[in-house]
Parts: sequence; C-alpha cells; structure tokens
Amino acid sequence: MMRTRHILREFDRALDALRSDALMMASLTDRNLQNAMSCLLDRNPELCVVTVLDEKEVDALEKKVDRDGVDILLRYQPVASDLRQVVSTMKLGSNLERVADQAVNIAKRSRRLSMEPELHEAFALGPLFVDAISIFRDSIRAYADGDVALARTLRERDREIDQMNRQIADDLTAKMAEQADRIPDYLQLLFIARHLERVGDHAKNIAEDAVYAAEAEDIRHPDNALAYH
Amino acid sequence: MPVKTMSSFEPNAQTGAATSPGVPAESPSSPAEPAFKVNNLSIWYGEKQAIKNVSIDIPAKAITAIIGPSGCGKSTFLRCLNRMHELVPRTRLEGDIHFYGEDLYGPTVDPAVVRRRVGMVFQKSNPFPTMSIEENVLVGLRLNGVRDRRFLNERLEQSLRRSALWEEVKHDLKKPGMSISGGQQQRLCIARALAVEPEVLLMDEPCSALDPIATAKIEELIRELRDKYTIVIVTHNMQQASRVSDKTAFFYVGELIEFGDTTQLFNRPSERQTEDYITGRFG
Repeated sequence: MMRTRHILREFDRALDALRSDALMMASLTDRNLQNAMSCLLDRNPELCVVTVLDEKEVDALEKKVDRDGVDILLRYQPVASDLRQVVSTMKLGSNLERVADQAVNIAKRSRRLSMEPELHEAFALGPLFVDAISIFRDSIRAYADGDVALARTLRERDREIDQMNRQIADDLTAKMAEQADRIPDYLQLLFIARHLERVGDHAKNIAEDAVYAAEAEDIRHPDNALAYH
Repeated sequence: MPVKTMSSFEPNAQTGAATSPGVPAESPSSPAEPAFKVNNLSIWYGEKQAIKNVSIDIPAKAITAIIGPSGCGKSTFLRCLNRMHELVPRTRLEGDIHFYGEDLYGPTVDPAVVRRRVGMVFQKSNPFPTMSIEENVLVGLRLNGVRDRRFLNERLEQSLRRSALWEEVKHDLKKPGMSISGGQQQRLCIARALAVEPEVLLMDEPCSALDPIATAKIEELIRELRDKYTIVIVTHNMQQASRVSDKTAFFYVGELIEFGDTTQLFNRPSERQTEDYITGRFG
C-alpha cells in the first residue's frame, strides 16, 4: 500500500534505510541457503568454506539493523504502523541471522560428508531444500509487500516441512540399521534435515511478524489458550 | 443513578452551605456510568463553527486525552465541559452535555457551580500574583464563604499533598505563589483546583511550558489523581497522551474522528486520518 510520506523526511529516510538493510540481509541469507544446498548436493567443499565465511555479512547487518532500529525508536518515537514496522524489522533481522546460521551448519556438515564416499540418500533432501527455500522466500515477500494473505498460508506449509523432516528422519534411521558403518554420515544428513526444518520455523516467524506489521494482529500460538493481559 | 429532586448545579444546591463547606455532594457515578455524555454537540464562535456534531461518552475516574492539530477544536471542546467557552462573546451551542445525568446547560444551572465541580488547569501556570502559596490554594473556599480555620488548614495540606507539592513548600506557605518554580506553580494551580473538591479536572496543555522533569512530576500526579477524579487533558504531545491517558479522542477540523482505548489508538487506529496524524504524515 502506498503511504503518504512523513512531514519529517529524515524519518522516512531512516525507515527506508532500515528496511533496505533488512532486505539486503534477506537476499544474502537466501544466497547462503542456496549455496548450502549446492554444498550438499554438488559435494563442493570450497563452497562450504565460502558459505561459512559469508555469514559474517549477515551477522554485521543484523547488528546494523538492531542499532538503526533502536536509533529510530530513540529519535522519532514511532507509533502505530511505523512502530510495528520498526519492531517487526528488528525481529526479522534476528530470524534472518538464525536462518543464515542454519546455512552455516548445513555447509559444515556437507563439508564433512564431501570427504566420505557419496551417500545416495543425500539427494532425498533435495525436495526439503526446495521447500525450505521456497517458504523462506515467501516469508520475505510477505514482509516486503505486506502480503497478509500470503503470510497466513505459511503456517500450514511449515507443518508440511515438519512432516517431510519426520519422514526423512524415519528413512535415515532405517538406513542406519542396515549400514552401521555409515551411521555418522547418516546422522549428518539427519541433522541437515533438522536444520532445514528450523528454516521453515523461522520463515513462519517472519510471516507472523509480517501480519503484525501490516495489521497489528498477533497470530502466534493460535492453539495456546493461556493469555496474559 | 439516583433520582434527584433538585439539580446539584443550582446555586442553592451548593454545598458551601452544607455541613462540610465547599465539599460537593458525593459523585453519583457508578463505575460504568460516564461522567459526561455529549450528544450532537456543535459550537460556533460568531459565524465560525468550531465543533461539529460531536458525540462522546467521557468515562468517570479515568484519564481521557484529547489530541489533534491546532485549530481542531480540542480546547473549545474542553472548555464547554465546564461552560468556560461562554466567556467568549458571540458563542452559540447546539446539542447537549449531561454530567452524571444532569443537563450541564439546563436553564436553572449556575455556571459558577459547574466550574466548581468541573475544575480547570490552564496551559500557563497562573497563581494569583499578590497571594501567598496558602492564599492561592484556599482562595476558592474563601470565596465560597468558608471561614473555619481548622477546616481550611486541613484542606490546604490535603490539596498540596494531592498535588505532590506539600513536601516542597510546607515551610514556605506564606511565600508568594509566584516565588516558586514554573513546575511548582503549575502544581500549585492544581492544588488550587483540588481545594474546592471538584469531581472533574480539565487540563489544557498543562505541561507545555514546563521542562521534562517538571512535566514528569505533573504526569505522575495526573496518574495518581486518576483514582479520585475524572480527568480530561488536552495535549499537543502525543507521547504524553500515550503515557498518561486511558482513552484518547482525536479531533480534526471540529470533528471527532476517533475515540478509543489509548493503547489501541496508538497501535492500530481505526481511521486513516488518525494514523496519518499520530505518525506525522499530516500536511
């Protein structure tokens, strides 16, 4: 939705810069996730090292988003949609940093796997990668466009990723029983699936914050009857 | 609300002649009953309409903030709650305002009694310059004919304590009211308003001339007074409105645009005009 600009143009510039940094962070995190997928599926140890090092950019931007967000709260005392925008952007920064952490974890495990004989089961994680990256991108789109309808669909898609992860864990556990000498490698795959499942959780969190930013509605934990007022 | 046989706004209904001089009758409110019910209120200054068809219920024993840009009618609205606007020539009013069920503008209502029950604190502190601190606080009671020295002393201390000024001036009660700081003078004016035991305090930008420390003391005082008084405050400072008030009303060019819980209004206003104003997008 197009909004009229603030009378105080400096406030607009500060909000725009905060949003721009968060979206840059999202873009770098997306790249890290794609690289993590290549690390595993292409067995590329050099890319694994690059992916681990790339996280520093995301970490630095997380600190900048936090610092600039606090600065906006301090200088401009935003209210209503402006306040929600700042709060949700700072939370977005935290979630992005954690997604980038998952990419690093996947890269480190993939590097260890690349030093061992190839496991065909690694390719079974391909669809999980695709879904995790897809839900992540949609969560960023929901935040950037204020697309509440899209954001509301991501809880169900996160559940599907959870289910996919459980299925993969069952399959890998069965393989471990068959091939005891590769248990450490199957465990690496199992943990990678778990990291991707966490990406889905963070995407769901980002979508929840996008709804809050757009409509001031808290859609977290809908099944929890306990509420503090 | 109990049925009354005589309006408590009539001159001979003043409690100045009752057992406790200067003390009004018990406020007839129940917690759910609003202090003021305003229906279709319009006000003109000559040809210019300042308030346009405003209807609002102002809750009792709560703090209601009125916000809006300059010229939106918020001070006019505040002043019509104790008929102060009538002091401006060529003023005309339509609609009605009921105060605990009584017509504030009824034909037998004495505006002086209204203003005692509905006190007011102004933007600029205005202690009477020739009077001491003590005289400033007690002037309203003395004008009402109260002479009982013991009663006056009790009310002096009570009012200064309620306005959070007692500890600062208790040894200087005979000093001129103008000799204390601006923030203390504003609290002295609040003490003066409280001395006649009003049920409502109207505050018209009470902190706009004060520094942040004095402002914080007044805001703390407003929160403390909330249990005993209905408070309506006009402020240009939206942070102040969001800090101190329970309800907030947004006025724009004489119209009431939105009225609701303060947290709700400042987090998710219903009206686009409110959002644009509080986020600084107006103009």
